[in-house]
This record gives sequence, structure tokens and C-alpha cells, in this order.
Amino acid sequence: MRHRSIVPAFLSLILVTAACGGGGDDDVAGGASGAEPENGTVTIYSGRTENLISPILEEFTAETGVEVEVRYGQSADLALLIEEEAAAGETRADVFLSQSPGSIGLLEASGRLTPLPEDVLALVPENVRDSDGRWVGFSGRQRVMVYNPELVTEAELPASVFDLTDPAWKGRIGIAPSNGSFQDFVTTMRATEGDEATALWLDAMVANEVVSYANNNAIVAAVARGEVDAGLVNHYYNHQFLIEDPSHPARNHQMVSGDPGATLITTGAAIPQGAANPEAAAELIAFLLSESGQRYFADQTFEYPLATGMAPSGEVPPIDFADADIDVAGLGGGLTATRDMITGAGLEG
Amino acid sequence: MVAPTQASPAWRTPRLIPAHLGLRLTCALVGLVFAAPAVLVLARAALLSGDLVPLARQLGGPLWRSIQLSVLVSFTAAIVGTLLAWLLTRTDLPGRRTWRVLLVLPLVLPSFVGAAAFIAGLAPGGVLHLALDAVGITPPRRFRGLGAGWLVLSAFTYPYVLLPVSARLSTVPQSLHDSARLLGHSPWSTFVRVTVPHIRASLAASTLLVFLYTLSELGAVQLVGYDTLTRVVYASRLVDRPTSFGAAALLAVAAAGVVLGERRLRGRPQVRQDDRTALVPGRLISLGWAAVPATAVCALVATVGLLVPLASLGLWAQRGIASGRVDLGQLIDPARSTAVVSVAAAALAVIAVLPVALASVRHRHPGAGLAALGVAGGFAVPGLVIALSLAYLTLNTPLLGRFYQSAGLLVVAYVVHFGLQALGPDEQAERSVPQPVREASALLEPSRWRRIARVDLPLMTPNLVAGGGLVLLSTVKELPATLLLSPIGFSTLATAIFHAYEDGFYAEAGVASLLLVAVSAALTWLLVLRRGLTG
Repeated sequence: MRHRSIVPAFLSLILVTAACGGGGDDDVAGGASGAEPENGTVTIYSGRTENLISPILEEFTAETGVEVEVRYGQSADLALLIEEEAAAGETRADVFLSQSPGSIGLLEASGRLTPLPEDVLALVPENVRDSDGRWVGFSGRQRVMVYNPELVTEAELPASVFDLTDPAWKGRIGIAPSNGSFQDFVTTMRATEGDEATALWLDAMVANEVVSYANNNAIVAAVARGEVDAGLVNHYYNHQFLIEDPSHPARNHQMVSGDPGATLITTGAAIPQGAANPEAAAELIAFLLSESGQRYFADQTFEYPLATGMAPSGEVPPIDFADADIDVAGLGGGLTATRDMITGAGLEG
Repeated sequence: MVAPTQASPAWRTPRLIPAHLGLRLTCALVGLVFAAPAVLVLARAALLSGDLVPLARQLGGPLWRSIQLSVLVSFTAAIVGTLLAWLLTRTDLPGRRTWRVLLVLPLVLPSFVGAAAFIAGLAPGGVLHLALDAVGITPPRRFRGLGAGWLVLSAFTYPYVLLPVSARLSTVPQSLHDSARLLGHSPWSTFVRVTVPHIRASLAASTLLVFLYTLSELGAVQLVGYDTLTRVVYASRLVDRPTSFGAAALLAVAAAGVVLGERRLRGRPQVRQDDRTALVPGRLISLGWAAVPATAVCALVATVGLLVPLASLGLWAQRGIASGRVDLGQLIDPARSTAVVSVAAAALAVIAVLPVALASVRHRHPGAGLAALGVAGGFAVPGLVIALSLAYLTLNTPLLGRFYQSAGLLVVAYVVHFGLQALGPDEQAERSVPQPVREASALLEPSRWRRIARVDLPLMTPNLVAGGGLVLLSTVKELPATLLLSPIGFSTLATAIFHAYEDGFYAEAGVASLLLVAVSAALTWLLVLRRGLTG
């Protein structure tokens, strides 16, 4: 029985370690609250990556004196975490910034978002905000076709995603069926063209041997190395690839205005229920929609600004905003049905 | 109580002592903590599931694909890992000290970036493409499906076998090998008749690790377009939660089945512990001309698992450094955090599962099997599920709320997720202390603690550090729990790679990945190889 007393010893060591971890952390937290800045702190759960959003958040702090604390992650994972927090009545996030409407849709459907102040909502046109006023879009990415000019001639470039079911495109197109923005695009197609036409299009794409990828990045990389000739993605990625590697061969092609393949996918901002600092949260969202915030998204991340009266950067082709018939508000809720249609067509939703 | 099965003097058979209450309670507690996420998933799946028939239809295909991939990868890793372990510990392979570090490193790359870099290497202009071109082979245009998943995952998981089996090999008494050789056995025959029975338990436990790892892997299978159960958990997590929880529950059940099967097959150890110890440095088998093919094997494995991805990452990094877009200074803090949390998690994991190993090896207590099952449960469910389950448990348990998103909880999450990797080596460490040595030391040294420090620990060390090493190398690349459960503002190299990679900042992803490999190599050498595998 020589080891009889080891076990309690190990057990106490584990407990001590755990207690140290917790205790040490409390000290940090205590220190932070002791040095509480005058204008408070706003906690952000951001589905947008640090590279893309931290410069504008720093500007916000410089301008308002409100400190920001950010947890970065995938929009869907953060939405699930906010769901757990809100369900337990322990909300830690003041603002949720999502890459796409889908993740916000989950929280909206389960009633975990609080209405935004009127003056914040008024900063954007009606078609890029929730009809119940629970979230606003703050930047947009257009759906485009990325193509490899060595494999696709100018003359071949289609006007609509519906042209891609032509046998001429057999086995040449990449999509990301499990990706949120592809699913948002399909949801838009359902809204503008109807469920039947959408299901037929998905079936025809599968019959035309469309190739599935994990996400937008993977498609752009695959097009660049000639694995597929073209792919359906958000416009923004190819710009980033070109900065990384000027010899990157792929180019973006815009479908005609009004085609579901030219949908504008909005990023969204919302305030979770039970947020500790909703005033600062609203202030932050208003800042993202201010002139300097919107210019940042237009010029630094090549996205489309959404606030009324803002123009995109010269690097991206203009889109006719008023014309684009986007039912953004409908994009969130109908995602389950969208995914069922995608998997029903035999794709890996 | 198990009666001795072999005719041998009574004093030589390990004395099985009934596990006392403290140990049994500790085991139960450890098992419970590890099993909590999997149990929560099962409960939620049961609550959410509506119609089971369509769910079963939807999950049948992915389950079958998951099993196919896991079986292929675990067998490949078992063969490659064992062969390399034998070459690196029992032979005079030239440069084996260097190989020992290089050949465990494929484990450290997060699979999403490792697989992406590997695929980039196959693209026109990539190293692999150029190499294949040079020898007249046309590289495949698409690198997808079961074959692609098998190659990438095998190349990244064989170290799960290599480390524990190397540790075990280095504790097999040299005298046995000598006897076998004196009796006229060839090196191969010695390997089959002496070595294999000794490494059987280690090999089985580590093959199981690879199987379970592959079952819950996401990054690589997603990139090669292979639709597994884990991919379903992620793809349906937002819009179809019943399916997501159903798939996660199915993963947990499948894993439990495999773990129980392995424990049953394993049975009792075949080899009775030799009463001489292995601390006498052994003589190495001289490879002679065979050193050439042996070196070629090591080089091939290192090329596929390390060189190809590193070359792609290096190319990305070099572009970024050349254009001045990457600021190395920003990566210092994440590098330090990575080292601190991974060492903490490794140490805590080795300690946390030790009671289970003790109960299972020394006492063969039936409850130990159940606790081991709980420990396996933590490894078999995807990291995101662990993170959300621990969030749920801390947020909804009155006294635990203050630990939510603390460094302590993060380390606990790592331990729960990766503890199984330390269990096999811990059990092996327990077996490494011969009963007669234990008894002799009890007669000679009255202080229990001094005995542990001077007799037990030195004998257990190689296996303990190997287990810790595995946990460390897994923790450095962990992503979902780090993103969701860390204190706010905390970042590791893995999260830095993830953020950069997500938005196409490949240069930064490349630099951070290379730094991750460097930090892991340094930690592995300092903490694992230098102390563990001597000789």
C-alpha cells in the first residue's frame, strides 16, 4: 500500500492548480475593474478577424475613450457561445459582430438580441437592417465568380449563375456548400427566384459535376492553381490574395445586377440580451456606421459600405445599391430550409 | 483479485492490492470530469432529437466514412510509428538524435493549416509538384477524398505512436535482447519475439489515440472534401442543432465502443515485468548497409509530414517578410502564452490521469475501466463540443461561474480534451516499476517520498514525459476551446495562425506556423526528448 497517500496528494495538487488558475485570473480581472476607464469598457465578440477590424476599433477607443475588449472566433461558434451565456443569464458580450447574417439569425430566432436604438438603425437603408430593429448590417461583400483567366476566356464569362448549369461548365466550377455565405446566397435565390427554381438549379449544378470546397479561401486558392476553372465566392477574398501574391492569377467576375449570383452579403452587428453596457455597445455600432468607420471598410478591406450616402472604394466595381433587390431580413430565419435543400441536392451542406 | 497464471515463485508475481477508498473516489471524480462533456452531449441529443429515422439516414454515410478513414489512418500510423520508434531507439541509425526531434514535429501543425500547406505543395510551383515533375510523374489535378485524407492525416498523426512506443522501447531491458541474440535470433526475430510483446500495450493504446483523433478531426477532412461525422457536427451547428448534437452523440458512442473493444482485446499484459530494470544503457543494433534504406524511410516520412508543409509555409512567410507586412514582434506574446498553457496542460494531464492508471495497472480495479472510458470520452468529441459543454457547465453551476473564461478553465479544457493521450503512457509508467524493485526499496528506504523520488520516478520518467509530450504537442495547436474559453484578449500562436489564415493573410499564417513549429521543437527537445529517451 505504498502509494496510499499519493492519491490525495495528487488530488490536492490538482485542486491547488485549479485554484491558482482561477485565483490568478480574478486578480487580473480585479486589476482591470480597479482601473476602470471613465467611459467604460465594451466587450465585443467578433466573427470578423483581428486583421480586418482591430484598426477601426482602436480608432473608436481613441475617439470616444471607451475601451474595447475583443474575443475573436468564427461567427457561428461565437453565436453558440452567446446563446449559452444568455440562456444562463450570464451574458458577457456587449456587441456581436458577425461575418454573415446566418449567425445573427440564430440568436434572433431564439430571442437573444435586444432592439437597437432608433438613431443607430436610421444610419442604414431599410434593406440592410432587421425589420424588428435587432441588428444592422455594417459592411457588404458581393457574391462574384472568381476565375482563372488561363482557363476561362472573356467571351465565356456568364451573365448569371443560371448559365453555369450549361454543359460547357461541366466539372469546372467550385462552390462551398457548407459555408455561410453560400447558404445566404442560396437563401437569396429562394427569395428572388422561388424554391422550385432554386432546387432545380442546385440539382443541375450537381449534375454538372460542381466541386465542393470548405470555404471561400479554398476556392480562390484552387482556382489560382487551376484545380477548378472558376468558383462562386465573396468578392473580397481575391483582393486579399492579390495583396499577398501579386502574381496570383485569379480574377473576379460580376454577374449582372439583380442576379442572385451578385447578391450583397452583409456583415451584421447586434447587442445580446443582458449585455452589461448596452449604451457603449450602441455607440460602437454607430461608430462603425459613421463616415470614418465606413471609409475604413471601403478602403482598407475592399468591402461595400452600407451607411446611407457612402461610396465604395475605386478598387471594386460599383454596384447599384437601390436596384439590388435584397431581402436581407429574410436571410436569417430561412437557413434551415436552405440547408435542407442543399443537402437534398446531394451536396455536403 | 486475479490469481497468478504462471508457475513462478510467489514473490515474483505482482501483488494485486485492492484499491482503497481514496483511490476509488479519485478515479470516479477524474472519470466524471472527463466524461462530463460527452455525457452532456448525449443528454442534449436525447432532448433535442425528434425523428430518429431521418437522422439515422442522414448520419449513416458520414459515420461509415469516418470509420473507414479512422481505420486506415490508425493502421498506417501504427506501422510507420512503430518502425520509426524501433529505428530511433534500438539501432545505430546515423543522425538519430536529430531525427528524434524532426520526426515528432508533424504533430504540431494545426491540421487546417498543415493540410492547406500540403495541398499548396502539390499545386503548380509547389515543392511537391516540382519534385514529382522532376521524376516524370504528373501530379493529380485534385487532391481530394479518402486517399487524400488518409495521406495527410497519417503524415500528421504517426507521432502519436512514435513517442509512446519509443518510450516503451527505451525501457525494455537490454538483457532480454542480449539473451535473444545469444540464442541465435536475428534482429528481426528478436523484434517479433521479444520487442513486440513488450510494446503491445503501448502500441494498442496509441493506435487507439490515432483512431479517436481521426474520428474528431475537422481541418484536414474539410479541406480534402471528405464528409465525415465531425464535419456534420460543424456544418449543422447553426441551422440544425438536433443533427449537430445527434452527430456528436454518435461520435461519443462510436468512440466508447472502440475504447471498450480495445480494453477487452488488450486483456492482461502478456509480458510479466522483468525484475531487472532498463536503466542500463543498451547496446544498439548495427544497421550496416541497411542504414541507407532506413535513412530513406525517415527522410520520406519527414518530407511528407514536415518538409512539404514547411516549404509552402516558408514561401508564404518569405513573401510577407520581404514586403514588410508581417510584424514578428506581435507574435512574441502569443508564443509565450502557447508555451505556458501547453506545459501547464501537459503536466496537469499526466497527473490527472495517474490515479486511473494506478487503479487500472496496479489494482486492476473494474472501476478503472469505467474511468478510462470517461477519459476517452473527452478526446473523442470535437473540440468545439468540449468548449461549449464546459461553458454550459461553468455558467450553470453556482460555484463554478467565476471560472468561466479563466486561464484555469482553459487548461482544464485542454486536460479534458487531451488527457487520454497521457493515460496509455501513465499506465506504461506504472508497469515500468518492477514489483521486486518496489519491495526491495521498501526494505531499504523507510521514507515513502524519498522512495518515490529515487526509485519509482526515475523508472517512470520516460513514459511520463512521453505522455506529457503528446499532450503538449496537441495543446499548442488547439483552437476551438482556446478561442471560446480563454480570458478575453488572450491569444496563442494557433489562434494567430487561424485569424491570419481565415482572411487570406497567408504571409502572417506562414510566419506564425513556422514559429509554432520552432517553439514546439524547442519544448519537445527540452522537456521530452532530453529527459525521456536517453541513449
